[in-house]
Amino acid sequence: MSNFKAVGSRLLQLALVLWAVVTILFLMFRLMPGNPMAAYIDPTFTLEQQQQLMAQFGLDKPLWQQYLIYLGNLLQGELGQSFRYREPVGQRIWILLPNTLILTFSSLIIAYAFGILAGAYLAWRRGSWVEQAAIPMVLTTRAMPEFWLGMVLLAIFSFSLGWFPAGGTRDPGAEYSGLLDLYTSRDFLAHLVLPAATLAIYSQGLPLLLMRSNMLDVMKEDFVTMARIKGLSNWTVVVRHAARNALLPVMTSFAIAVGYQLQGNVVVESVFSWPGLGRELVNAVAASDYPLAQGAFLMIALVVILMNLLADMLYAILDPRVSHA
Amino acid sequence: MTEAFLSVRNLRVSYQVGRNFVHAVDGASFDIPKGSITGLVGESGCGKTTVARALTRVIADNATISGGQILFNGKDLARIPEKEMNALRWRDIAFIPQSAMNSLDPVYTVEYQLGEVLRRRGGMSRAQARKRSEELFDMVGIDPGRLTDYPHQFSGGMRQRVAIALALALDPKLIIADEPVTALDVIVQRQILDQLKELQTRLGLSVILVTHDISVVAYICDRTVVMYAGKVAESGSMQAALTAPSHPYTMGLRNAFPDLQGAASGVLTPIEGAPPNLANPPTGCRFKPRCPFALDLCGSEPPVVDVAPGHPVLCHRASESAALRIEAAKTETWMARA
Repeated sequence: MSNFKAVGSRLLQLALVLWAVVTILFLMFRLMPGNPMAAYIDPTFTLEQQQQLMAQFGLDKPLWQQYLIYLGNLLQGELGQSFRYREPVGQRIWILLPNTLILTFSSLIIAYAFGILAGAYLAWRRGSWVEQAAIPMVLTTRAMPEFWLGMVLLAIFSFSLGWFPAGGTRDPGAEYSGLLDLYTSRDFLAHLVLPAATLAIYSQGLPLLLMRSNMLDVMKEDFVTMARIKGLSNWTVVVRHAARNALLPVMTSFAIAVGYQLQGNVVVESVFSWPGLGRELVNAVAASDYPLAQGAFLMIALVVILMNLLADMLYAILDPRVSHA
Repeated sequence: MTEAFLSVRNLRVSYQVGRNFVHAVDGASFDIPKGSITGLVGESGCGKTTVARALTRVIADNATISGGQILFNGKDLARIPEKEMNALRWRDIAFIPQSAMNSLDPVYTVEYQLGEVLRRRGGMSRAQARKRSEELFDMVGIDPGRLTDYPHQFSGGMRQRVAIALALALDPKLIIADEPVTALDVIVQRQILDQLKELQTRLGLSVILVTHDISVVAYICDRTVVMYAGKVAESGSMQAALTAPSHPYTMGLRNAFPDLQGAASGVLTPIEGAPPNLANPPTGCRFKPRCPFALDLCGSEPPVVDVAPGHPVLCHRASESAALRIEAAKTETWMARA
C-alpha cells in the first residue's frame, strides 16, 4: 500500500519538475535577443505578409496566451512546427532521439562496466605499482576535452588506419528497410565505435574513481572485517560484501551521468557528424529555430528526469534500507 | 585449574605508525581453560581488542604479530600458514563483535549471512543451512520467522543475538566476544549476558569476553585477565580477582566501578591519569606513574609473581598485596596522587 503511495508521490513530483522545465524553456526562448521570425521571414515580405505569418505561428498574441497554447499543445504531444524544416518538431526529434540514446547508453554502459570493475580492482590493489600507474592515467582521461579526444581518435583510427568511418551513422547510399535493420547492421555499429569510444573513455573516470574510493571506505567497515574473521574467501569478501556495498552510490551516479552525457553529446555528435539530438540542438539554436530547440531541450530534460526516477527505483532494489524506510 | 586449551605466550603485536612501531601488546601471557568464560579487562587502548583480534589473525593492515606464541589445539596460531589459519576461522574460533549493526552486511538478509557461513564454511546444503539457521534462532531466542529480515529491521539487542547465533553456527570451540554488550542499555546487557552464559554452560563453550567493564566480568566470568598498557597485569580466577586483587591496577579498577550486585556500596574512586602512550612507554612498571604504591624499584622491569597457583601478578610488590589491598580500599590513597 505504502509502495503505491510512494510511487504516486514520485510521479506527481515528476510531473511538477516537468512543468517547471517546460515553463523555464518557454520563457527562456522568449527572453533571447532577436526576433525568432528574422530567420524565417524574408525581408522582402511586406509588413502585412509578415504579420500574417506571425499570426499563423501565434506570435502576435500576448505572452500568457502563447504560454497556454504552448502547454495545451504539449499535453496533446504537439511540439509545434520547425521553422527551418517546415515539418513537425515531434517528427524530427523522433528520428534523432534513438541515435542519441544509442550513443549515450552504449558508451555509458561500457564506461560504467569498465569503471566499476577497474575501480574495485584498484581498491583491492591499493598501494601497488598498478594503482600508482593507473590513477594518473585515469585522471588524464578525465582531463582530456571530448572534442579533442574525438579528433585524435578520428585522426588515428579513421584517417590514418582507415579502420572506422569518420562520421554519420551509415555509409553513403546504404539503404535499410527499417530502423531495427539499421541499428543491427555492421555498417551502423562501425560508425558507432569511434563516437562511443570517445564518450566511454571520457566517462569511465567518474565511476572508476567513485568505485575505488567507495571500496576503500567499505573495506574498512566492520562487516568486511567480520567476513574475513569468518574465514570467507577473498573473492567473497571483496566482491560479495565490499563491492556490493560500494556499488550503491555508483548506480546513482549513472543516472546523473546520463544527463551529463546528453550535454557532452552535443560536442561529440558535432565532431562525428552523428545525427543526434545534441547536434540538432546546436544547429537549431544557431538558426533560431526555436520550436525545434525547445523540443530538443524538452526531450533531453525528459530523459534526465526519467533516469533519475530509474536511479531511485534501482537504489530501492539494491539497498534494502531504502525500500523499507 | 582445568587444562588450558588456549595458551598465549609472550604475545607481541606491533602497529607501524609512520616509521615507528607501537607495541600495542607487549609480551602478554595467559591461559584459557576449556569450558570457561574468561574476561579480558582493561581501559581503552590497553591492547585487549588487539589481543582478541590477534587470536583470529585478522588484524589491521599496519599491524603484525611480531613475537610470542598462540598455542591452540597443539598448533601455534602465530606461525601456521594463512591457509591453515583460515580453515580454523569460525569453525574453531568464532567472534562476536562489539557493534552488531556494523558487522552485519546491510544489503543481505540475516538468513543469507547465516547461510553464507553454514554453506561456504560448514559445507552444508541449502536445506541443511535453512534448518540450522532456524535452530540457531531458536537458541538465541528470536522467532525464526525473522530470518528473512534485513539487519536494519532488528533492534540493537536483537542484532547482538543474531551475532551470537552467527558465532554459534559451526559449533566453534572458542568464541571471542569483543565488548559484546557495550553498545546496549543495561537491561538488554543483562539479557544478552544471561543468554551467553546459558549457552556457554549448555554447549560447553570456551569464551573470551573482552570488556572495559569489570562489572560485566564479575557478572558472568569464571576467570579474568587484567591488561594494562599492552601487558597482562594480573590473571586468575574470578574469585581471586574480586576478593584478593593483587595488582594495584586491579584494586583501582574495583574501586572505580559500581558494586556488581547493584548495591551502592559507597563512593566510586577513579584512577587518576591516563594509560601511557605506547609509542613511548615508561621504563619499568608501566603503571608506576599512576600507582599510589610505587617505589623506586618500580623503575625496573617488574617480575611475574605467582601469588597463588594460577594467579600470576606483574608487580614488584605482589608479595605485599594483602597490606596494599587495605590501603587501596581507602579513597584518600588514590586522591593523594592527583
